[in-house]
Amino acid sequence: MDFLNEKFPDAQFSNLVNGDMEVLVPKERYEEVIRACYDAGFKYCSVLSAIDWKDRLTLVASLSRINPEEVGTKSIHVKVDLPRQGARIWSISNLYPGANWHERETYDMYGIRFDGHPNHRRILLPDNWQGGHPLLKDFVDKRPKRPRLVRHRYAE
Amino acid sequence: MGPQHPSTHGVLRLMVKLDGETVTWCEPDIGYLHRCFEKLSEFKTYPQVIPFTDRTDYLAALLNEQAFVEATEKLFGDAIVVPERALYIRVLVAELQRIASHLMALGSNALDLGAVTPFLYCWRDREKMYSLFERITGGRLLYNYFRIGGLRNDLPEGIIGTPNDGEDKADKTIWGFINYFDSYVWPQWDALVTGNRIFQWRTQGVGVLTPENAVAYSTSGAVIRGSGIKWDLRKNLPYSIYDRFEFDIPVGKNGDCFDRWWVRQEEMRQSSRIVKQALAWLSENPGEVMGKVPRVLKPPKGEVYHRIEGARGEVSCYVISDGSPNPYKVKWRSPAFTHLQVVPHLTPGHKIADVIAILGSIDIVLGEVDR
Repeated sequence: MDFLNEKFPDAQFSNLVNGDMEVLVPKERYEEVIRACYDAGFKYCSVLSAIDWKDRLTLVASLSRINPEEVGTKSIHVKVDLPRQGARIWSISNLYPGANWHERETYDMYGIRFDGHPNHRRILLPDNWQGGHPLLKDFVDKRPKRPRLVRHRYAE
Repeated sequence: MGPQHPSTHGVLRLMVKLDGETVTWCEPDIGYLHRCFEKLSEFKTYPQVIPFTDRTDYLAALLNEQAFVEATEKLFGDAIVVPERALYIRVLVAELQRIASHLMALGSNALDLGAVTPFLYCWRDREKMYSLFERITGGRLLYNYFRIGGLRNDLPEGIIGTPNDGEDKADKTIWGFINYFDSYVWPQWDALVTGNRIFQWRTQGVGVLTPENAVAYSTSGAVIRGSGIKWDLRKNLPYSIYDRFEFDIPVGKNGDCFDRWWVRQEEMRQSSRIVKQALAWLSENPGEVMGKVPRVLKPPKGEVYHRIEGARGEVSCYVISDGSPNPYKVKWRSPAFTHLQVVPHLTPGHKIADVIAILGSIDIVLGEVDR
């Protein structure tokens, strides 16, 4: 994974517990880093999700290489910090079709918009859902509360 | 094909455009079973999340527990040591669960294609396994058996049995079931369905997924192996103690529905091989099954991404800890969710009856798709 070190000296690198590599890149260079990973053989997008740190959102894309001979394969987690309001980012689902639904889910749950996504809709929640993005930490369920059941009192 | 369509699994709605009987466009509409698993787990302590993971993929509940429990143990690092015996029992029950889940997958796939008898056989054999699971874990479908740092209880007395146990003990001892499986169940599936000419006509050449697309669409498990890529996280990313066991990875050639079926069927036999090796070790090495863990589990700050090979493919979870007893975030990467996006890619050009064959062959569980 040295190819990223050489090409992107300004990115922040760190290692996870299990030996995976983490790259924190500025938003403008996200597309470049993803394309560099893709060209280096990391063609499998395992997961794409976001984290709400209360002051910012972090988008995580986990890419790995499918090589049947390789034992102990490592993956790269590409991370981008985004603002909590009106976040937009380049969509990787034209490069990785497998990330399509993960990006839709991230939009659904965190409100991050993906530019160039082929089918940018909500996925798990209904299309006409107006209640916000549930996995944000300050999400409040505004739906009317169900009436509580009244316990039946038996006649004495 | 609405959520009430009896031949779909669970509540899945497929929007399909047809030209005569040929599918031209297809899109799954999901979310009917969404239960906010990820949001809920932010408000629960780590041990309280384990029962929720059962409910995501309810046909392979123990494998989900394994993913979450091992991820949390990784967060603790060296602070929690899982006893050897617990690791072996985990592998044992996980592989038994994989056989049960594949039996269900094969049975329902055949049922979708109009063969009712294999489905009944599948239930008969799964019933025997569930009696075993009930004795080991206390539950039949949703177990809550794994604990962070070990297991809830050891194997009950006499459940291992002896290698000579025959068919009559299939629902009493694990050896009995494995012998029954090897001598009776597996050959029967092979003869009844896989060698069946009608079944082969229905599935061969249907829903062909090329190896390049299998990688691009992030498939895993039997789907990627059916396309001819020898990719199994038990071998390629050895977690738990899978590097101590001897087993092969079956791969398909053409990537059609039949190959995916064949890979599943072959995998059951490999699982039974692993079970035998685990049983041999377990019958000789008694010991503790629960390591020393603090009363309140507060993992140190950090994040971990743990991937395991579930019954349907790569089950992985992303757990972030902020040092409190509740996880800060749990992201559940379920294989069925990822596999379902292949359906719009595979179906166009096929007849509407083949959509059912394709859906059955990628083996989705809607509880896991919607979480």
